[in-house]
Amino acid sequence: MSIIQTKDVKKWFGDFQALKGITMDVAEGEVLVVCGPSGSGKSTFIRCINRLEQHQEGQIIVDGIELTNDLKNIEAIRSEVGMVFQSFNLFPHLTVMQNITLAQIWVRKKNRAESEEKAMELLERVGIPEQAQKFPGQLSGGQQQRVAIARALAMEPKIMLFDEPTSALDPEMIKEVLDVMKELAKSGMTMIVVTHEMGFAKEVADRVMLFDDGMLVEENTPDEFFNNPKSDRTKLFLSQIL
Amino acid sequence: MVDLIKKSAKSLQESLFSSVGSSVLTIATTYLVINFFRGMLGFALTSDKDWLAVLNNMQLYMVQAYPEEDFIRVWLSVGLTFVLAGLSIGIWRSEARVKSSQVFNSFFKGGLGVLFFTIIAPTNASFMGNDGSVITEEVLSMDSRLGILIPVVIFCAIFFSIRFTNVSFTVNSSDMVFFYLFIPVALLWFVKLPTIQLNQNNERIIPDPVMPIASSTKIPWTVIFVSFLVSYFIGMYLKNIKSIKSIMSLSWFLLPLLIFSWIFKKPQIDMSVVLGSDLPIFGVFLLWGFLVITFVNNALFKKYYSTYLGVTFLLTLAGVFSGLPMLAKTCLLLITLFSVVVPAVSTSSQGKRSLLIVWAVALVTLTFLLRGGASDTGIVVPGSSIFGGFSLTWLLAIFGTYVSFPLGVLLALGRNSKLPIIRIVCTGIIELTRSVPYITWLFFASVTLAVFLPAGVEFNLIVRVLMVTAFFSGAYFAENIRGGLQSIPKGQYEAADAIGMSPFQKISLIIMPQALRAVIPTLVSSAITAFKDSSLVTIIGLFDFLTIGKTVIGNQSIPVNFVGHDRENLIFVAIVYWIFTFTLSRRSMKVEKKLGLGER
Ligand SMILES: Nc1ncnc2c1ncn2[C@@H]1O[C@H](COP(=O)(O)OP(=O)(O)O)[C@@H](O)[C@H]1O
Ligand SMILES: [Mg+2]
Repeated sequence: MSIIQTKDVKKWFGDFQALKGITMDVAEGEVLVVCGPSGSGKSTFIRCINRLEQHQEGQIIVDGIELTNDLKNIEAIRSEVGMVFQSFNLFPHLTVMQNITLAQIWVRKKNRAESEEKAMELLERVGIPEQAQKFPGQLSGGQQQRVAIARALAMEPKIMLFDEPTSALDPEMIKEVLDVMKELAKSGMTMIVVTHEMGFAKEVADRVMLFDDGMLVEENTPDEFFNNPKSDRTKLFLSQIL
Repeated sequence: MVDLIKKSAKSLQESLFSSVGSSVLTIATTYLVINFFRGMLGFALTSDKDWLAVLNNMQLYMVQAYPEEDFIRVWLSVGLTFVLAGLSIGIWRSEARVKSSQVFNSFFKGGLGVLFFTIIAPTNASFMGNDGSVITEEVLSMDSRLGILIPVVIFCAIFFSIRFTNVSFTVNSSDMVFFYLFIPVALLWFVKLPTIQLNQNNERIIPDPVMPIASSTKIPWTVIFVSFLVSYFIGMYLKNIKSIKSIMSLSWFLLPLLIFSWIFKKPQIDMSVVLGSDLPIFGVFLLWGFLVITFVNNALFKKYYSTYLGVTFLLTLAGVFSGLPMLAKTCLLLITLFSVVVPAVSTSSQGKRSLLIVWAVALVTLTFLLRGGASDTGIVVPGSSIFGGFSLTWLLAIFGTYVSFPLGVLLALGRNSKLPIIRIVCTGIIELTRSVPYITWLFFASVTLAVFLPAGVEFNLIVRVLMVTAFFSGAYFAENIRGGLQSIPKGQYEAADAIGMSPFQKISLIIMPQALRAVIPTLVSSAITAFKDSSLVTIIGLFDFLTIGKTVIGNQSIPVNFVGHDRENLIFVAIVYWIFTFTLSRRSMKVEKKLGLGER
């Protein structure tokens, strides 16, 4: 059964059409890698899935709930979908621990002790339990991104969205974040990952998609995508990136 | 020991005499500073200066003409504040400890300061006599200078040499507050100064008899100090009660309201009005707000929402021009505003609950202010406003900030709102208020405001001034806070959305704390400006702290003669203003440092 379904999703910024009809679906437990040139609408698309952007035409159904203007649905979907941003977006005025417990306490209404226990568990999972009492500004980029992943996981989401999670990182830190993501993928999490890390795609993706100019150009298994792409656009893209 | 001196000499040389330029600068500045203090001391010590003009007018300075039989109200207010402060310090008692060497060092430095002034004080000082001739007078003889120097040198030597013994302990930093406050309270009992006394013919007895200072206030102050201390211990004891911290915060929120009404009037509660009109009105509007909050996400309500808004608006219009009680009219206005705002902010059940609390508190405050502000005060002061002097300045500063800060937060949020009506109204209020000088608003308060109030409602001049002050500083706060809001990156909003926070949680937990932190320095300077600007109320006939010093005391002629003694008073006033603003800015620097931790 597919946990995310989109039908002919279209999105305009003023006169500019950023998404020109995207139809796709994601099965539960699937890891989907989305790539494509800059400006092709990848971010816009995954941001539509948790309503950080609003699509104007088409349908998006997440876990059986359709995204409309109904605030209740939006809140329900947001608490099922975790998101990790390119620029981390941690809350700088809160400690790492507070960053992770905040949503549990205020949105999930858990008590403090329980949330802190969960937070420590997650920090151990992403490999930085010793940083719990520091502020985000005192951590390296890689550590910050891992905190951001832990923060999203704290809501116990069914789906995780990653928007170029390693693009703002120094090369030596990319691996530590990718390792966490690989572990997450193997644990059976449904993931949509926008990334240019082709190694990651080859290793853990179940499917790879190529966006170009607001359209979904190719959708394939990693094997086929890299070795035997259907479209010429994909060949061109791969030749530029590899 | 020798090492230490060598080391400090070296660091002195490095910081002050590192090059020819800096040596010249150091010497010139030292010369100027010493001369400045010599001049000041000479001025302060000559017999031409009558410091009794300041000392003997403390009551005037504090409360002006507030009736003496009602002083107990003032004392109770001060006492209540200290009790709350004591409880809070106890509950939030920090575990930080101060090293004894730090304390001794500050004593040593204080001693050095006294030494410095005693050494540079001039022996002779000149002043202009009444006939225009220059009179030279000995102000500090060598003997009395030695009399001060020797004990102070011994004092310094003791605290300097302690660091070479192994006397070393630590003190809890919260405990230190009480130690430092203990000193002035104890001094009240021991220090004696000349005091003005009148003989049977109502003439000043010359020379002035020497008496303990503050003979009339030392008992209240001691009682207050003791209750402060006691509540500190109680606070430590209460520390572990579950929601004690929120209770304390709420008490601090209510305290100014309580003090305000308590100082302003003898309670005159007309039970028939309370039961027959206030309570029913209060209940109706509480229920109305409750219903709006409950059904805000209901489909049927949503469908007819605009109809509901229209009807409410028409009702309000009709109500305002009808003979309804003032409270009902204001509540109608409030419910219209509330109905517009609710759908935008209320989504989760948590948000709904906080909204209901906000609504109830708003109604209580409103009822209280309308009943409190608009009725007769019961405290009569012939020919003057209820009080003046420091209490007026303090009231304008504290109450002005107290009301205007939340108002500023709301206006700033409103100006950033997505709803056009709210945005336009908030922008209008901010721009209108800021584009007119404060003095004009003061005249508006004293002369024009009554025209805009419904017939039968009359506010005391001080209340009216408070109203315009709240809006005036609120507008400035709003603009500062808006600047802070603009400095928050879009990613912060998105991150909060992505983890499912409601708009209310997003603003209060993520956005506002960061925005406020970014603007603390500007907020503090706004608060300091508001504190100092409060002296402008003299223009509409209120007697603030400065006016008392400059005008009132300068005109006291019989039986004392303080005419022409306004310089002493001005120096005193300036020092008091300085102490308060300086403390405020130092505190804010500390807060900034503490909050700045996350920024690195
Ligand atoms: N808020 C916005 N306003 C206007 N145009 C936007 C906005 N966000 C994105 N765009 C445009 O939409 C297109 C797709 O952007 P994006 O989804 O960020 O691309 P990608 O993530 O694939 O690099 C780009 O041309 C970008 O300029
Ligand atoms: Mg992008």
